[in-house]
Amino acid sequence: MPGLSLKGVTKAYGATKVIHGVDIEIDKGEFCVFVGPSGCGKSTLLRMIAGLEEISGGDVFINDHRVNEVDPSHRGVAMVFQTYALYPHMSVEQNMGFGLRMNGRPKAEVAKRVEDAAKILQIEELLDRKPRQLSGGQRQRVAIGRAIVRDPQVFLFDEPLSNLDAELRVATRLEIAKLHRQLGGATMIYVTHDQVEAMTLATKIVVLRKGIVEQVGAPMEPYSNPANLFVAGFIGSPKMNLIDVTPGAGGALQFKDGRSLTTSGDAHNVATVGVRADQLRSAPVESAALTGEVSVVERLGDAEFVYVRTGWGQEIVVRFEGGTDTPVGSTVGFDLSGRTHFFDAGGVAIKGLAVASS
Amino acid sequence: MALEAASSAASEYVIRQPLITPRVRRWIVSALLAAVCCIWIYPLVWMVSASFKTNAAIFASEGLIPSQPVFDNYLRAWNEANIGAYFFNTLFVTVGSVLLVTIATAMMGYVLGRRKFLGRGFIFGLLVFTMFVPQGYTIIPVFELLSMLGLGQSLWGVMLATTGGSFVIFVLLFAGYFSQMPDELEEAAKMDGVGFVRTFWYVMLPLSKPIIVTVIVMQTLYAWNDFLLPLVVTLANPAIRTLSVGVYAFKGENFVDWGGMTAASTITIVPVVVLFLFLQRYFIDGLAGAVKG
Repeated sequence: MPGLSLKGVTKAYGATKVIHGVDIEIDKGEFCVFVGPSGCGKSTLLRMIAGLEEISGGDVFINDHRVNEVDPSHRGVAMVFQTYALYPHMSVEQNMGFGLRMNGRPKAEVAKRVEDAAKILQIEELLDRKPRQLSGGQRQRVAIGRAIVRDPQVFLFDEPLSNLDAELRVATRLEIAKLHRQLGGATMIYVTHDQVEAMTLATKIVVLRKGIVEQVGAPMEPYSNPANLFVAGFIGSPKMNLIDVTPGAGGALQFKDGRSLTTSGDAHNVATVGVRADQLRSAPVESAALTGEVSVVERLGDAEFVYVRTGWGQEIVVRFEGGTDTPVGSTVGFDLSGRTHFFDAGGVAIKGLAVASS
Repeated sequence: MALEAASSAASEYVIRQPLITPRVRRWIVSALLAAVCCIWIYPLVWMVSASFKTNAAIFASEGLIPSQPVFDNYLRAWNEANIGAYFFNTLFVTVGSVLLVTIATAMMGYVLGRRKFLGRGFIFGLLVFTMFVPQGYTIIPVFELLSMLGLGQSLWGVMLATTGGSFVIFVLLFAGYFSQMPDELEEAAKMDGVGFVRTFWYVMLPLSKPIIVTVIVMQTLYAWNDFLLPLVVTLANPAIRTLSVGVYAFKGENFVDWGGMTAASTITIVPVVVLFLFLQRYFIDGLAGAVKG
């Protein structure tokens, strides 16, 4: 049963269209992450679901009710803002209970719900403090607590971790994942530009670019089966190596330096080959599909990312086991082993094609 | 040769001792400022000193400390010259106008600072324009307005007219402050189901405390000290005079009661001084906040 669905949703500011007809179905209890580069319209989309932005076209349904014109507070959604947006002059307790109090809920009920939320988030001892007396992570919890207190059907998170430092971001990410499980049936929509956050948290990923949905799928789907060049380049770290090729006879694909690759099918419309850093295997230079000179080596401990400059000046990245210690300046060769992605001239992925094993 | 000299000078870097140490400099600056301060407050001290002297002693040029201090001036001012009654008139006008001004300017500033609507720029322009019209030019129309409202001869009229004094500046102060508040605060309140008016009252107004204090202090000073407007409005009805107008009454056609006038003036400024002593920290914070935003 869909907890939330967007049908042909558009948004325009005057003549400028920023969301171009988005269709998404999010089931109850799902953790859906909108991911995309900045300016792709993901926050706008979230704010349209929240009711903070008007919907220019299309419909938004929450639990099968059309909510286009419904007041934000009556949509059954709660939002956690990027800047937390806590009321600075109120204590944590007042912050969390403000909405309920203003809507005339009995004091005892407000106190109970604030207490329950505080227990879930382990901020009981902070209830009397003002936001300025809290650390960034604690403020984040209070902001989430303010959402929990409202007992919404849909939680909306607008880049909630981007104001935290790296270490805290990882810890809070885990806590949000735990919270999703703890809150049972709550549907969550989470906006981020960080694809690691997206892949670790999501049960469904929506990749957006310039107001258009590029791909929707399970968390690993955009990673293992990118629908197009944009998704291939955006999801995954380090970025997928995208190499231009010219199709030849009999499923052969030629690189710019004359070396070639044989595929197992009809490759006449392949324009780009995509291969991730961990899908390249070291091979003798003479027979390798790709060769180049090592320009930089990044040592990460468990792995080494080796940047190799090819004959035509493109830099491709290859993952080696930690401690391999590839010397900078040496010439190395690789074969495309494992999963390789093929894209046509329009950037759309071509299915059912693989590198022929030699 | 020149090059050599330059390089040797660079290598033997000379630390030049200052002529005066920072400590001495502080002393000199303090002394200078103290001198300026003495000149600044001399008229005030003279006034307080004269209030303890007889008219004859004031002109005897005997120095600031009265040889035979008298308290008659205060009794005369308070009882005979009605300063006591004027004091409460002024208090009424001041408290009333401060309440009205604070609430009205905060609400206007909030709407002008945070809501985009047609004609907003025009209203801003009109408001700023009125700041350039000298008070004297508007007194007659203001008086006429009060008369038409039936308030021409009442203390309510004085109070209402006094609210106009710095109204525009306060609106602009509030508008500037509110316009810098993050949008998310309002949006969070919206998500919480809190309406426009209650968001203003419970979220925005408490956050504008520095501006509120500034407005209260500035409007208090203005209302307490305003002279021209109350003079005109109370011309026909001496019973509703304010202090500043009342003090003026010590100046007769042939005789000026300097002792009584200075005593009345001293009574007049005491509340303002006390107010400033209590609120100076907030006041300075507020002004700094208004500049910094």
